Amino acid sequence: MHQRLLTAFALSALIAAGAADLAAQKPSSPPRTPWGHPDLQGVWTSDEETGVPMERPEQYKNKPILEGKELEEYLKRRELERARNANFGGGITGAGPVHWYEWWGRKSARTSLITDPPDGRIPPLTPEAQKAEEARMKDWEAKVGDRGPADSWEDRELWDRCVMRHLPGVMFPGGYGNNAQIVQTPTHVAILNEMIHEVRVIPLDGRPHLSKSIRQWYGDSRARWDKNTLVVETINFKDMTDPRMDIGVRSRGAFPESFKIVERFTRMGPDTIQYEITRDDPKTWTRPWTAMLELKKTPGEYLFEYNCHEGNIGMENILSGARAEEKANPELLKRRAVRKAPGEESDDPDR
Amino acid sequence: MTRFWQGLGTGLVVVCAAASADRWAAPLLAQAPGFKAPRTSWGDGKPDLSGIWQALGTANWNLEDHAAYGAPAAVLAVAGTVAAAPGGFGFVDGPIPYKPEALKQRQHNFENRWTLDPELKCYQAGLPRATYLPYPFQILQSNNKILVTYEYAKSSRTIHMDKKVAAPVPQYMGQSNGRWEGDSLVVEVTDFRDESWFDRAGNFHSDALKVTERFTLTSPYHMLYEATIDDAKTFTRPWKITVPLYKRIERNVQLMEFNCVPFSEDMIYGQWKRR
Repeated sequence: MHQRLLTAFALSALIAAGAADLAAQKPSSPPRTPWGHPDLQGVWTSDEETGVPMERPEQYKNKPILEGKELEEYLKRRELERARNANFGGGITGAGPVHWYEWWGRKSARTSLITDPPDGRIPPLTPEAQKAEEARMKDWEAKVGDRGPADSWEDRELWDRCVMRHLPGVMFPGGYGNNAQIVQTPTHVAILNEMIHEVRVIPLDGRPHLSKSIRQWYGDSRARWDKNTLVVETINFKDMTDPRMDIGVRSRGAFPESFKIVERFTRMGPDTIQYEITRDDPKTWTRPWTAMLELKKTPGEYLFEYNCHEGNIGMENILSGARAEEKANPELLKRRAVRKAPGEESDDPDR
Repeated sequence: MTRFWQGLGTGLVVVCAAASADRWAAPLLAQAPGFKAPRTSWGDGKPDLSGIWQALGTANWNLEDHAAYGAPAAVLAVAGTVAAAPGGFGFVDGPIPYKPEALKQRQHNFENRWTLDPELKCYQAGLPRATYLPYPFQILQSNNKILVTYEYAKSSRTIHMDKKVAAPVPQYMGQSNGRWEGDSLVVEVTDFRDESWFDRAGNFHSDALKVTERFTLTSPYHMLYEATIDDAKTFTRPWKITVPLYKRIERNVQLMEFNCVPFSEDMIYGQWKRR
C-alpha cells in the first residue's frame, strides 16, 4: 500500500510537472552541497497538505488517494470546512484575522497523513499504555478541578501561549505559517519553523545525546545521513502530562521516558522533500506507525519573523476579557464553586 | 527613593563622560601574531566562523563605563545580589551621542528598567544586543547563507551572502545582508522595529536604526565583534561598539533550549490572573 501511495504520487507529479521533470523526481540524484551532502537547503512549505487529516476517516477505508467524483465531493467538503474555520479563526478573541487562513483547503487528494499502517490509522494502544493513559487523564482532571477556561494563562494551551507546538506538531500544517527553513553545514543541520519561530540545531558528528537528566520542550536531536536521507532522532522530551500539550494524546505516547521520534528528510526532486515521521514505541503501540508530508520548495530566501509572544495581545484579551465577564456576571464564578465535588459531571458550557 | 535614582542618574552621566575612545586601539584585540583564520572545509577560501560563541564582561548590563549599582528596593527584596549590575568598562568609543530628548528617554528607561526592559519579557533582543547577551549563540556557516541562532528566546537570523534581500516588514532582528572584506564578515542590518534595547541600562534606538557589523577572527578562540550604530532619529552621529567574543570549547558543547516564554508570563499577564 505504501508503494502504491508513492506510485500515485509519482503519477500526479508526472501530470503536474510534465514528463521532462520526471527524471528529476528520482531521489537517487539529489543536488549536493559543496561538501558532498544531499542539499536540502532553502525554505519549504507543508501548505499543500493543509486539510488532510492525520488519520484516515472510516469511509475512505483502503483509499489513500481519492479520484473522480469522490475526490470532487471530498474537496467540496473541505472547502466548506475552510470557510467555517476561517470565520471561526478570524472571529474569536485570540485568533488572527480571516486572511491568515487563506491557505486552508488545498487540493491534496490524500485521505490521511499516516501512510503506515496501510489503513492510515494510529495503531491501538497496548493494554499497559491504555491503563497509563487513563490514569494520566484522571490526574489531569483532578488537577484542573473547578478551574475556568481562562483563570490564568496556564489554563490555555501551549500554542495560545506561544510556548511551542511540540514535535511532531511543529512540522505539521496548520491554518497558516507552515514554512520551514533548512540550513546545512558539514557538521550541523538547522531546521527552523516559521510558526512561533522555532529552531533546532542538530549535530551530525555522531556525538552522544545529552544526559537523560536534561529534558527539553523539543527534546535533544541527533542526525545522520543514511544514503540520501537525513535521519533525525530525538529523545529527552519533557514529561508531557498535560493533554493540551500535544496535537493528540495518542500521538504522544504513554511513557515519556521512552518517547522517541525519528524523522526522515529525502529530496525527491528540485521542488520536493519527502518528510516522514515514525513512532516506534512497543510499550505504547501494538506496532510502529509513520506519517508522511510532502514539503514543497518556496521562492523564499528566509522565514519571516513570527513574533508570536512579542505580539500576544490575544492572551491579554482572553484573560482580561474573562475577568471583565466575571465582574459583569458574578454568577459565573458561583456556578463553578457549586460543582466542586470530585467526579461530578460539569454542566458548565465553558468546560 | 527618588533621590536615590537622581543620584544614580548623575553618576551614570559622569562616568560616561570619562569613557575613553582609544581603549580598543590596544593590541589585545588585534590578531594574534602569525594567526591566519582557518578556512571552510569545502574550499571556497572563506574564513570559517562556525562555532558557539559568547561575550564576557558587562556589555549587556550597561554599554557605557559604570561602577556597580543595585536595583529598586522591591527588586532587591526578592532577588538580592543577583539583581545588581557588576561594574564594567564601556564597550563604546566614548559616551553614546544621544540627542537631548533621546537622552531623557534613556534616563527614563534606566529608572524603569525593571519593568520596561524587553529582556525581562523574553522578547527577541534585536541587534547588536543578541550578540552580547549572557547566553551563547551559534554561527552555522553554509555556502550561500550564514545562520546565526541565539540560545536566548530561540531567536535566529539569516545572513544573506548570495543576494541582497529586503525585509517586507520591520523585524526585531532586522534583515541581514553580508559580504567578506578581507578576512572580516561585514553585515549590514536594517529594517528594525523600535522596541528593542541595547542593554539592561535602557540604551535604546528608533526604527531608523542601521547596524553595520564586522566579525573578525583574531585567534582560534577569539573573535572581534564591532558594530557601528547609525540612527539619526536618536543620535547626533554614528557610534561604535566593540566586544570580544569567546569560543565555547567544552567537549560536545551545544546550545541548550532557553524557551523563556513561561518565565515571563507572570510579569506580563499576572495582572489579569483570577485572584
